[in-house]
Amino acid sequence: MSTLLEVSGVSVSFDGFRAINNLSIQIGEPELRAIIGPNGAGKTTFMDIITGKTRPDTGRIIWGDQNISLLGMSESQIAMAGIGRKFQKPTVFEDQTVRANLAMALRNPRGPFSVLFDQQTRAGADRIAEIAAEIGLTDSLARTSGALSHGQKQWLEIGMLLAQDPRLLLVDEPAAGMTSQERAHTTDLLKRAAKTRAVVVVEHDMEFVRRLDCKVTVLHEGSVLAEGSLDHVTANQTVIDVYLGR
Amino acid sequence: MRRVFLFLALWLGFAPALQAQDLQSILQIHATEVADPGRRTVNAVLDDLAVSGLSGVADFLESWQDKAVWQRADGQFFVAAEAGNDLHLTDIVSGAQSTASKANFTQIKPNGGVRRVIGTALVQFQLTDPDLARRTTAVASIARSPNADQLAPLLASIAPEPDADLRARKVQLANFLSASFAATPNDRIAAIDNMAQDTSVEARAVLNQILTVRPGVAAMLPDNENVAGVLTPGQDMTPDAAYSLLVAAGLAPPRTPPGVIRAALEAHIDGGRVADVPVAQLNTNAMRERAYAGLAAAGRVPPLVTPSDRDAAMAAFAFFEIYAEADPAITDAAKRALASVETRVAAGQTVDLALDALSLASIYFLAAIGLAITFGVMGVINMAHGEFIMMGAYTGYVVQLFIPDYTLSIIVALPLAFAVTFGAGVTMERLVIRHLYHRPLETLLATFGISIALQQLAKNIFGTQARPLTSPAWLDGAWVFSDVIQISYIRIAIFVLALIFLALILFVLKRTRLGLEVRAVTQNPGMAASMGINPERINMLTFGLGSGIAGIAGVAIGLYAKVTSEMGADYIVQSFMTVVVGGVGNVWGTLAGASLIGFLQKGIEWLNPSNTLAAQTYMILFIILFIQFRPKGIVALKGRAAAD
Amino acid sequence: MNSFFLRNPSTLWFLMGLGLFTIGVTILSEAGIGFLSTSFIKILGKTLCLCLIAVAMDVVWGYCGILSLGHFAFFGIGGYAVGMWLMYARTEGIVLDSLAAQTIPPTPQEISDAIGNQIFGVVGSSEFPLVWAFADSLFLQLLMVVLVPGLLALVFGWLAFRSRVTGVYLSILTQAMTLALSLYLFQNDSGLRGNNGLSGLQNIPGFETTPQATISLAFFYASALALALGYVLFAWVVSGKMGSVIKAIRDNESRVRFLGYHVESYKLLVFTLTAIIAGIAGALYYPQAGIINPAEIAPIASIYLAVWVAIGGRGRLYGAVIGAAFVSLLSSWFTGGGAPAINLGFYTVNWTDWWLVLLGLSFVAVTLFFPKGIGGLFDYLVRKP
Repeated sequence: MSTLLEVSGVSVSFDGFRAINNLSIQIGEPELRAIIGPNGAGKTTFMDIITGKTRPDTGRIIWGDQNISLLGMSESQIAMAGIGRKFQKPTVFEDQTVRANLAMALRNPRGPFSVLFDQQTRAGADRIAEIAAEIGLTDSLARTSGALSHGQKQWLEIGMLLAQDPRLLLVDEPAAGMTSQERAHTTDLLKRAAKTRAVVVVEHDMEFVRRLDCKVTVLHEGSVLAEGSLDHVTANQTVIDVYLGR
Repeated sequence: MRRVFLFLALWLGFAPALQAQDLQSILQIHATEVADPGRRTVNAVLDDLAVSGLSGVADFLESWQDKAVWQRADGQFFVAAEAGNDLHLTDIVSGAQSTASKANFTQIKPNGGVRRVIGTALVQFQLTDPDLARRTTAVASIARSPNADQLAPLLASIAPEPDADLRARKVQLANFLSASFAATPNDRIAAIDNMAQDTSVEARAVLNQILTVRPGVAAMLPDNENVAGVLTPGQDMTPDAAYSLLVAAGLAPPRTPPGVIRAALEAHIDGGRVADVPVAQLNTNAMRERAYAGLAAAGRVPPLVTPSDRDAAMAAFAFFEIYAEADPAITDAAKRALASVETRVAAGQTVDLALDALSLASIYFLAAIGLAITFGVMGVINMAHGEFIMMGAYTGYVVQLFIPDYTLSIIVALPLAFAVTFGAGVTMERLVIRHLYHRPLETLLATFGISIALQQLAKNIFGTQARPLTSPAWLDGAWVFSDVIQISYIRIAIFVLALIFLALILFVLKRTRLGLEVRAVTQNPGMAASMGINPERINMLTFGLGSGIAGIAGVAIGLYAKVTSEMGADYIVQSFMTVVVGGVGNVWGTLAGASLIGFLQKGIEWLNPSNTLAAQTYMILFIILFIQFRPKGIVALKGRAAAD
Repeated sequence: MNSFFLRNPSTLWFLMGLGLFTIGVTILSEAGIGFLSTSFIKILGKTLCLCLIAVAMDVVWGYCGILSLGHFAFFGIGGYAVGMWLMYARTEGIVLDSLAAQTIPPTPQEISDAIGNQIFGVVGSSEFPLVWAFADSLFLQLLMVVLVPGLLALVFGWLAFRSRVTGVYLSILTQAMTLALSLYLFQNDSGLRGNNGLSGLQNIPGFETTPQATISLAFFYASALALALGYVLFAWVVSGKMGSVIKAIRDNESRVRFLGYHVESYKLLVFTLTAIIAGIAGALYYPQAGIINPAEIAPIASIYLAVWVAIGGRGRLYGAVIGAAFVSLLSSWFTGGGAPAINLGFYTVNWTDWWLVLLGLSFVAVTLFFPKGIGGLFDYLVRKP
């Protein structure tokens, strides 16, 4: 397992409030990692920083085998470098079909002219079918994605992530609002994905994290409080204080 | 200067000796000169009259000048007014009135030259007249048409002048006259040096008058003239202008303009050819000149002055400017003084420009502050905001139709305009905007629809011509600091109004329950609602407040500009710019935006004063570029609140 | 191509409708039975140009979510570009005729001075400004029709999009651009005859003897062809993956960024392409209108354009065509005195005065009650046959 992403000494503040405070995290490849923490611990901001939405005040973010710095790259460049992100609220393009959503996410040239003259290929269609099968939406390919259920939208979004074929998946609360059956399916999806790439899951739900059965990082007030297996971190006295104290 | 005082001393010293006489007897001494005055002879009479120190002299001179003095057959002079065939006589000494037939009298009609001489003499009497108004008039008339003769009497009248203001004015004016007309160069230079701090238009005119130049041309620079500078053709003046100087001085033959060449060619067409060039080939300047040269060689037309001829002629002569004033010491002093004055004027103009910009900024602020609330705080884009301004202005106009007293009508109009537009705003919010809160682009279109409907409605009701909104008399006029710096009271009033609004809005938003609720609702409507705040009510009130302020702004803008159905549209884009440039969601931002835009626009207008349209164009371009560098405006909100 | 039309039946229907309309107008025109006057043919031709720019507006707003209040400025620039050649060439013809009567043939300078005097006399000048450098070449001016709006849109769009100005801010910014342009053109020393604008554009140089009936029909065909081509172009653009991406940008710009798309390039492409089409539409419109002046470019015109699209139905190309045709024809009917006045007894509603009030209120009604516009009715018909 080689290091894919190295975040070191990153801080960012909003109007004097330190959302991220000297945070350092390393993610390997392949790896499944869960990040937990109380509200306001800086989980979402952490993702914002990695994906280029928020610029950190200090710190370094090094990516990949060539040790590229992600600072100064735009969101789309970072996405093209191989980082995919799923938002907390499912954000699929509701006006368009499931197929169109997946087609947009497929790993193809992203320039406007190549998109303008894009030809639908056999390989592309096959890949869409494959992903649809993976996320269980084969029958819904022609449906408008706005008509999907909440859980299906979450899967579609994970499917779009897979279609991007990223090396690192950032997944924000994938299980929110799901039935237990849907959760099981989601867990399987993520675990399968983590066999070939790095997957970082931000989650509130301890039960879901337990099921992922992976290394856990606890964030608190913008920095790492504890790291290790779930059992290890839940035994940690400060972690207990933080969770009970809230 | 010393000589003037000497003269005055003599003049005052002689006065008592002649005091025994009365006016009529002095006139009788010079009866011939009075009855038929000539420009040379009249001075003797005037000198004696002046020396007499009698009180009626000024009145008599005025009548004399106005051709209202008549001579009776026995030689006595009277002031008289014609009434048909009779004359209403006034005795020159006693002032006794009587009437007599014209037959016995001859009217004395001094010619124009004499009247001018009398007028000048009159000045000294008027300058010392007991009546302040007449003295003031006399001083003003000297200022209007200054000449050398007025200097001495003016100086003489300074010391006895009781009125402090008028004395200061007399000193100033005497200084101007001395600068131009004092007898010795030293006196003039002293006077000119005194003017180095006077920024009045008059002072600058006097200095510029002294520095008047005329262009000249000669083989050599003249050394007996006060040369202002050497002119190089092509650099300080166009070659054509330089050559015309040569032609005017008779030093070179006139050029042959293309039109003349053509006329000459047309006049000498001979069998389809002009000087061996076929007519059909005469469609270039080169061919035409060749044909013309052919004609000139044959002596049929004057020779052509070619560009090289012109250059050669210009190279042979020196071009220069000569001061009309011959004494270089004086022109140097005037240049020095003018430079110093101009520095002061420039400083004054900067201040004046800043004041102008400040008042423009106040207007933009007033126009935009309502928008800062509806757009900035609530995020509702209201294209009809300009029409609310217009509604406010028309409210003021209608109020003035019913209340003729302008002060009272403005006092009534301000709250009424607020009420009208508050009502309109609340109605619009209830009927339209509240259904579109999450569709900002559609809000834009719907409110734009309301905007054109309101505009056309105003046109249908009030007509297309501009309506007056008259400001009270106490707002007329301007506060004058100097000839350079002044600001009209109405602009001061608008500035004050803008300040009041700033304070009021800050107070409402920061210190009142309503403000707290507004901020709560705009930040998190759901949470606010769960805490017992009714977001619908708050939105309605906020929108009403923003609209009502637009109405008041309308009254203020109407006082200063015209009231038309399109006045709102004139301000809407600028208002949005103001809010966007300043930073959305922040009253201070709007203030900053208005200041930036106001100062910028005045600055650009100052650089390019002839063209306000261009100024606006460049300003908008600047704003577009500005938004590149500060997309969130001058006063940007930071952090997560600003993220979306 | 077959599959394109199969996948987009509405495009095929539209082309058939437009073809039938063109044939119908030809039959009814003076070339046929003479039912339609020349001036009405011009109105129809102009309306087709307005439909074309409305389609462009629909792509940039309805599909890509950029409510541009500047596209009518591009339209006007196209008009100015072609108008400069029309005016120059025609004035040159007149000047050459009048100078031919002289005994000595004119020099190029004399010709240029005389043309300059004719054109710029109204603004007290006779010098040719720099912008007229290519006015004598039809080819170069036609190139300007495409290049100037394209470049302006490219530069403006690049500036605006890279600083992530979106939503109403972008609308205000584009409106400011339009205002700046029209204010600039209003100046006498803008080099484009200030508020006089360019006139006499209906007289086509080289066709002085051709009757206006024929010319107007020719322009009508050209406009119909341009609309057809523009419609197919945009239908192709929005139907494929490109359409998918720009609709996604409209709905959630930042999500598209995280998918790896460089959103700004897409917006810039759409903005520039539609600006170019708008310029072409303007170049066809103003020779039929005969005159162009800066008032045409004022921000309000661009807002009307948005309103047509909104009334016709955003996000569907035929909706834009319907909206533009419907509102602009209705507008000329009402303001042209075609609508009968309504006598209420105490007040007579004169439509020339009240049309704008009606139009304004109908925007409100459309945005509130029919957000899908007239085009939305088709959905209704299709769903419930």
